[in-house]
Amino acid sequence: MVDASSPATADVRQLRWSLSSMRQRVWLISAAVVVVSLIGLVSSWLDPTIRAPLRPGLDFTGGTQIQLERQCDPACADLKAIAVSNVIRELALPKEGNAPLPQLNAPRVQLLDAGQSLLLRLPTLSAAQGQAVIQAVEPVAGPFKDGGQSVDTIGPSLGRQLLQSSLVSLLVAFAGIAVYISFRYDRRYAFLALVALAHDVVIVCGIFAWLGLFFQLEVDSLFAVALLTIAGYSVNDTVVVFDRIRERTQQGSDLPLKLQVDQAVSATLTRTLYTSGTTLMPLLALVFFGGSTLYWFAIALALGVVVGSWSSIALAPSLLTLWQPQGD
Amino acid sequence: MARYQGWFAFVLALAIAAGMFLLRTPLELGLDLRGGSQLTVQVQPAGDITRVGSEEMEAVKAVLERRVNGLGVAESTLQTVGDTQLVLQLPGEQDPTRAARVLGSTAMLEFRAQKPGAEGDLRSLRQLRSQVRAILRLREDQARSGDPDNNDGIDFDQLAEAQKLFGLDGESTSETDQLQQLLEKVNGEIVQQFEPAALTGKDLVTAGRQPLQNNPNSWEVTLSFNSDGAEAFAELTKSIAGTDRLLGIVLDGQAISEASVGPQFQAAGISGGSASISGNFTAEEARELEVQLRGGSLPLPVEIIEVRTIGPTLGAENIRRSLVAALSGLAFVAVFMVVAYRLPGAVAVVALSLYALFNLAMYALIPVTLTLPGIAGFILSIGMAVDANVLIFERIKDELRRGNTLIRSIDTGFSEAFSSIVDGHLTTLISCAALFFLGTGLVKGFAATLGIGVLLSLFTALTCTRTLLRFLMGYSGLRSPNNFLPNSQLPTPSA
Repeated sequence: MVDASSPATADVRQLRWSLSSMRQRVWLISAAVVVVSLIGLVSSWLDPTIRAPLRPGLDFTGGTQIQLERQCDPACADLKAIAVSNVIRELALPKEGNAPLPQLNAPRVQLLDAGQSLLLRLPTLSAAQGQAVIQAVEPVAGPFKDGGQSVDTIGPSLGRQLLQSSLVSLLVAFAGIAVYISFRYDRRYAFLALVALAHDVVIVCGIFAWLGLFFQLEVDSLFAVALLTIAGYSVNDTVVVFDRIRERTQQGSDLPLKLQVDQAVSATLTRTLYTSGTTLMPLLALVFFGGSTLYWFAIALALGVVVGSWSSIALAPSLLTLWQPQGD
Repeated sequence: MARYQGWFAFVLALAIAAGMFLLRTPLELGLDLRGGSQLTVQVQPAGDITRVGSEEMEAVKAVLERRVNGLGVAESTLQTVGDTQLVLQLPGEQDPTRAARVLGSTAMLEFRAQKPGAEGDLRSLRQLRSQVRAILRLREDQARSGDPDNNDGIDFDQLAEAQKLFGLDGESTSETDQLQQLLEKVNGEIVQQFEPAALTGKDLVTAGRQPLQNNPNSWEVTLSFNSDGAEAFAELTKSIAGTDRLLGIVLDGQAISEASVGPQFQAAGISGGSASISGNFTAEEARELEVQLRGGSLPLPVEIIEVRTIGPTLGAENIRRSLVAALSGLAFVAVFMVVAYRLPGAVAVVALSLYALFNLAMYALIPVTLTLPGIAGFILSIGMAVDANVLIFERIKDELRRGNTLIRSIDTGFSEAFSSIVDGHLTTLISCAALFFLGTGLVKGFAATLGIGVLLSLFTALTCTRTLLRFLMGYSGLRSPNNFLPNSQLPTPSA
């Protein structure tokens, strides 16, 4: 074999996609999706029933959520959600200390898994009051499976704390990543990595805002976790592409920056697509087999992976070409 | 070559050690995986204390710990979370009602002497109280036996009047709730008829309980004091012995019972340092009060801000589902890697299995309590671990396409991929650190497993994969570039 690593033959394969020639199209697509996402976030904020960019779930608003697995052997007894909410509305709760009694006039009742399980969302109840609700519902919706119930109660103050700590950790993670990249690369790269990151986070939030508007989907603390993971993943993806671009520019090549960026993106394209693919596989397994608890969490992560790959293959490197004067 | 054989032996030994360790040490499962109850308690500032410091937290925790032990739930744990919160975990407990009641109240026990001249008010208040209690007991019996409501001997006019007096009219709650509210108001009003506390639960040594001799359905709680308490109790009883004034027993601002002290104690008071409270307790109520009094009173009030209960079958279901997801995800990835990268792909699958094994061993070693989000973090970290391998193999392919020799391509591939692997892993680690140190509960569990995963992935990709690959390259039969790339993509040697 011959040693063929001279610069002239360094790129045996030709460009697989010439990013800079279609950078305007890339920007248009990204801008359009970001605008649609922002519209979703704003309309959710303007919606009188939500009043927030995303529909906050129990974790953030506080309240009690009761899930009951029904005995369905051989088949579940017929059940209408309205029958359950009527029972709850009539219920007189036991008093707890000096606290005012929670109002049960608007319970939210959902039947999941073809009526096999029952989900109740109520204002914040004490432990004893939660048990009273379960006992009251049993004659209508029971019998329930032994050991198949879950009761989550979150006080309103805890919900606020959770929201606060999620936001703070998101910002701290952003800042930490920015500092690291400016240290390892330079500020230009750090700025673009953050642009790509903001792009990914806004789009995933936007999709969930639209889901909240149309399907009443609520975001919980797991969604905040998903956002943070997307942040880490998106930067990871972008950094690999940037690493290649830096490697090329440091070799002192006299090719124009646009071409160097194109070459770097082409060289990392397989890697980015393979990595996204292999990350998506376990996530899709979670979506299909993971059960209801992790369902939307896995979907948020999967969306983040897809959008993150786009921003690191297309958006971030194409923005980098802006720094070079056009005629160069 | 000997260097790689040394490494190979090291990796092998590590894998065996991890496997052995895992067999001996079972993983700790969170409540969402094995069922149970979790209560979060917020300690609140009160009185002179405007900020809850670590000393106050210690004091509150000590009291709650004694109460939790009194509950007798196996393997219960109480941990401080953040600056002002405590988390109690009760594995297997399906009904946290009792735990919530026992934890939530301050249990401030006081003994007070009646104010002189308050006999008249006190008599009518106590009479009202016993009437309300009687109705409540009656309703309970009726509910239990299923008899229709029987209103014999209930003076509804008097009750209505009393309710109006305490400002309780017009609330649309059930009869029982109205009576309970009235009872609270009356008990609070009775406390007003007494002097400030002469003796508190601080001087209590221990508490017990026993059924009353004349009525086994009614229980009393027995108390014994230390020497200071015994002295104060003797002093207090001496001051009211033989008069019309009563001894009041107050718990958390509510009068629970009053007693008269006979004239025979006029000289020395009731000495010996023991007393009993018979406040019309059921067996269960007496037990709870005993547990609370034994634990001592809380130095600061607490509020229960979070209760999570999950049944054991739901927990088992969660384990099953996430296992299926993790295994099928891994299987897909394994097939993909072998198809895409041939021999190194197979090596990566072995390295990834080792990675999964090391991860689990780390969870057992640290130990990390495994929760559902924790498992999600683990599954996601597999994706990151694969990424490192993909980066390396792509570089190796690039080098081979340039016509480099196999061994040189492998070495260059690893060293070229190194910087992007480290950068990528470190940025993920930064978000993990932010999540772990600033997040709470579920978020922490996720950050912990993802962070451990990322660190281990650095190790397995840079040592395990490399060692295995170099080790296999010792066999000439495997040393063909065709095991890495299809022949069509290799440059022709004549170039």
